[in-house]
Amino acid sequence: MQPQTQENRIEWEGALVQRAVAGDTRAFERLYREHSGRVYGLCLRMTRDAQLAEDCTQDTFINAWKALKQFETRSSLGTWLHRIAVNVSLGKRRKVTPVLEPQPEDENGTLGGWTFETPVEERELESAIGDLPDGARDALVLHALYGYSHGEAAQMLGIAEGTCKAQLHRARKLLRERLNLEVN
Amino acid sequence: MTGPEERSLKSLGELPEAIEPPHDLWPGIEARLNAEVAAAATAAPPARVRSGQLRWFAAAAMVASVAVGVWIGRDVVPLSGPAPGTAQVTTPATATPAQEAAAVDAAFVSDPRYARQRAELLQSLQARLDAMPEPARAKVTASLAAIETAKKDLEGALGKDPSNALLQELLINTYQDEMRALTDVHEASDPGRGI
Repeated sequence: MQPQTQENRIEWEGALVQRAVAGDTRAFERLYREHSGRVYGLCLRMTRDAQLAEDCTQDTFINAWKALKQFETRSSLGTWLHRIAVNVSLGKRRKVTPVLEPQPEDENGTLGGWTFETPVEERELESAIGDLPDGARDALVLHALYGYSHGEAAQMLGIAEGTCKAQLHRARKLLRERLNLEVN
Repeated sequence: MTGPEERSLKSLGELPEAIEPPHDLWPGIEARLNAEVAAAATAAPPARVRSGQLRWFAAAAMVASVAVGVWIGRDVVPLSGPAPGTAQVTTPATATPAQEAAAVDAAFVSDPRYARQRAELLQSLQARLDAMPEPARAKVTASLAAIETAKKDLEGALGKDPSNALLQELLINTYQDEMRALTDVHEASDPGRGI
């Protein structure tokens, strides 16, 4: 995306946010249309359950509507919605299964660019990610797929940065085993 | 997980960030939002008798809040209008009267009932403004001026881009905001009625 386009997008979003804060649900619907795919994509990858992901997506936008006055229009609405989506997804998932986290001593510095020496089918890759343990999958999805830093991903997940790195290390190891290839 | 296409990827970053929900979730969200709004309205404290001055300030505040929304909406659409904070009215050089008329016709404002009601409210507006305390009058006047500027800028922009749906929507919203503001002023100055 070109910088100018990004700038325009933030301005348009800011205007829609202001109108939504004033109670304009049509403006909020526009924001939903713009962001629902990225929110649903994150929820689906975190919950691995289409119905649960739909519930999480709906709750994310309901919570966003309630808290919209607190949103700073100069920041990224997409990131703000993702933070809410992570909270909602974790909350719903904890009602189903407890999350097991690796010990911090598993930590292994920064990871590479998550490239494969041999191309992988998209469906196979999504499936392998879906089979990862919750904690490892969360860290991988936020960091490697949605591009959040270790610190941002850790903050979203409510875990220490070292734990997040450990989860990523674990995710890479498991992905390598399941895809039977090298993940750089 | 469902839906990924059969294509080979060389990195995780090539996976699509967005996955569209299998069906439209907005109707469910909208229903819950409406329930929230209804619940909030029910939980609001009952209206109390207010002093005349308080009523005027409430009217001014409401008009001002509407105008701020309109102003922001007007300002960020790619217009060739004035910078924020200026009250100049500009019409793009490329906009012809015919184009602007066509743009306005797209809105509900061509309805004669709307035009008649607006004319009646405008006719009594000055008298009602004159009856207001000075601070409230200043706020209402400034807010109505901002709405007027927003309308003209949006009409000018629509003259350049008549099919822009967002501009059309913003213009309609602005006319609705103006009508709401005029009605609020009218009702606030009507003895025995508050806003």
